[in-house]
Amino acid sequence: MLSAKDLALDYRTGGSVAHAVDTVSLNVGRGSFVGLVGPSGSGKSSLMYLLSGLKRPSRGAVSFEDRDYANLSGAGLMRLRRRRFGFVFQQHFLVNYLSAFENVMVGAVERDHDTAAYAQALLHRVGLGDKLLKRPYQLSIGERQRVAVARALVHRPAVVFADEPTASLDQATGHEVVNLLADYRRSGGGSLLVVTHDPAMLSDADRVLQMRDGRLMAA
Amino acid sequence: MTNPLSLWNFYFRNKRKVLPVIGILALAILGVVVTDSLLASARETAYATFGSYQKLILVAPRATRDQDLANPLQDSLTRLHDVQLQVDTLDGPGGITSYYNAVVALPAQVRAQLPAVQRLQVDSANARYYAGRLRGDLVPLGDLIVRVQRLQSEQQAFNQLVTQLTQNPNDPRPLITYLQQHQTFLRSVLPDSAQLGRLQLAVTSASADANGLQQSLQAMNRDTANLNSAGQNVANLPLPPSPSATIDQFRSALDRLTASLGSIEQPQPGLDKLLADSAHIPGTALVKRDAYSNLDINLLAGNAQFDLYGIDQPGMTQLLTLYGDRVVAGRLPRQNASEIAVSEEIARARHVSVGSKLGNNVDELDRLPDAFTVVGIIGGPTRLGVIPLDYMTEHYLFERRYQGLIVIPQAGHAQTVHDELQRLVGDQAFRLFDWPYIKAKIDSLIANLDSINRFLILLVTLVLSLVVGLLNNLFFRQRMNEFGLLAAVGYSRWGLIRRVALESFGVTLAAWLLGVGIAVAVLSWFNTVFMVPHGLLMNVFDWNVLALHTLPIPLMVFLFGMGTVGWQLLRLDPISIIERRD
Repeated sequence: MLSAKDLALDYRTGGSVAHAVDTVSLNVGRGSFVGLVGPSGSGKSSLMYLLSGLKRPSRGAVSFEDRDYANLSGAGLMRLRRRRFGFVFQQHFLVNYLSAFENVMVGAVERDHDTAAYAQALLHRVGLGDKLLKRPYQLSIGERQRVAVARALVHRPAVVFADEPTASLDQATGHEVVNLLADYRRSGGGSLLVVTHDPAMLSDADRVLQMRDGRLMAA
Repeated sequence: MTNPLSLWNFYFRNKRKVLPVIGILALAILGVVVTDSLLASARETAYATFGSYQKLILVAPRATRDQDLANPLQDSLTRLHDVQLQVDTLDGPGGITSYYNAVVALPAQVRAQLPAVQRLQVDSANARYYAGRLRGDLVPLGDLIVRVQRLQSEQQAFNQLVTQLTQNPNDPRPLITYLQQHQTFLRSVLPDSAQLGRLQLAVTSASADANGLQQSLQAMNRDTANLNSAGQNVANLPLPPSPSATIDQFRSALDRLTASLGSIEQPQPGLDKLLADSAHIPGTALVKRDAYSNLDINLLAGNAQFDLYGIDQPGMTQLLTLYGDRVVAGRLPRQNASEIAVSEEIARARHVSVGSKLGNNVDELDRLPDAFTVVGIIGGPTRLGVIPLDYMTEHYLFERRYQGLIVIPQAGHAQTVHDELQRLVGDQAFRLFDWPYIKAKIDSLIANLDSINRFLILLVTLVLSLVVGLLNNLFFRQRMNEFGLLAAVGYSRWGLIRRVALESFGVTLAAWLLGVGIAVAVLSWFNTVFMVPHGLLMNVFDWNVLALHTLPIPLMVFLFGMGTVGWQLLRLDPISIIERRD
């Protein structure tokens, strides 16, 4: 479903070229849970940006459902991210003047009653059913991240990209967040690509890929 | 289900950030509207104050240097002094008194014997009669001579005032002090028209008496010659030399005094002819003699002299009819009365009503002399003030200088009549005042204030654009995470720019509406409590001011704010925000 072939991302710093991602090929199958681990600066986040269309590769190709990103315009890639992908980042990035429920609805593509009901159900599922109208500053860090997870899932994405979603959380809360994402995958929602430096979070992963110096290593 | 990113949510969830911006902009718009409206009010009030010129041409005497230097009163007083010297000569040695005394001393027997001597006696009695009358005629002249002496001392005070004003022309205090201290005195010293009339009668009588005296003396000479030719030997009679030459000099002095008094009586020698000729200009509806004067009134942009028309009673009615005005309280001034009728706006501006007084006894900045009683209030579209022509010309020596004409052209003939009037005036010391001239003067005065106002508006607009633009940028930076996330999850860049544009547009629109609304409320209140009671005009709903003059502020603020924020949004890299660890 999501595949990359000989993917590379170069950064020019002064006269030299740094290879953030160096000739990476991989496939993420429908409904699979892929973990991506590695030390800081190994290129795992950069690989995630390439796979999600947030960055264009220096070389190589990425395709989703057989659509090559190279053939998509900037607007086409935006539509793809908006409709088919979900994102969870290290920070929650909640809009501070909106309630938890409204923040979830920011991720919605259709803003109808079914979606609103689904958003409420998601918040119940992540344990915030009684805090629908709370603003972000009224929630704990873990609760905010759970709202961010619900926002990533509300439009039922085909792929959820989670970049260090547990980095700012304690281990227990981190597990909760990853389990929420895993539940979505298990319930047939979509694939999951989780970037983390903590392999313990990937106990449910189908595959765990190790990255070092921009390359995929054998796990 | 509403959009969580709706403008409604944005405005009402960010009141603390949005309201101050709206408040600042609204205050600036209020300031612009108030200053602009006051300026427009000053212009409209000035137009209205001098609105009578839209239908008439004023022919006024030109103030020339020669006219300023000429002083017919001083000249007359000098002539009168000459007459006084001649009177002294007449009364002194070799004058008529000694001559008369010599005549009456002729031996009684000679008078009894000779009929010719009897005739001489009769003639000498006549001479005595005329000499006695002549001395009586000189009494009013003597009174005037005393006034001359007082005037001469007054002239020293006036010279001192001129020196003070020359040294400091911008300080009116010496002038006001002088006027306060001396106007009553001046009026008591200056001869009025009635006195001048009596003086002229005395001069005419003295002239006739002097003539009678001369004829009597000539008869006495003839009688003496007849007696001598009849051998009556009266040549030895001790007759003194004839005072005829002295009397001739006295008559010449009287003639010069009469001419000088005449120049006071008729200060504009060409006015009668101009009056007659103007009436024949094609397209002229009405010509009236005008002894104009002025009232000092506040025009908001400064004080100005409101023109009063000194015309006869039929002229007053014609003038009101011409402008569609009418008397709304009281009546028009009566003939030869110290009365005035003014438009209600002028009455409000001067805080007067029927029965009040106007003139430089009340306000020393008025040129209207004394204190005229307000007898009528005029209502209607044009502001007018009328005073009686005869009272102005017969009771004030100096006001006689301000005599001119009101020429009212028929509709559509203003320029033709103006040109023909100008031709008739030629080199004479008159000048024409019509609406194009007056309007140009008003526009010139307002244009200076307008330039300052425009500069201030530009300055306010630029400063506000910078301030509000910077506030927008600060606010935008606080929302960087929001925009970074939205860009990352697939919201289009132009969509985000459109959203920010709508947010800014809403804020500036709200500020504009609020500013204009407050401005209308403030102006309405100010109009009621100040403008109307002071006879000043203000159009509270001047859309030119409310809309066009205020729009540059929200527009500039919007464009500046959007320019900077839009540019940052276009350059926004969501990854740099996602990777930020703050």
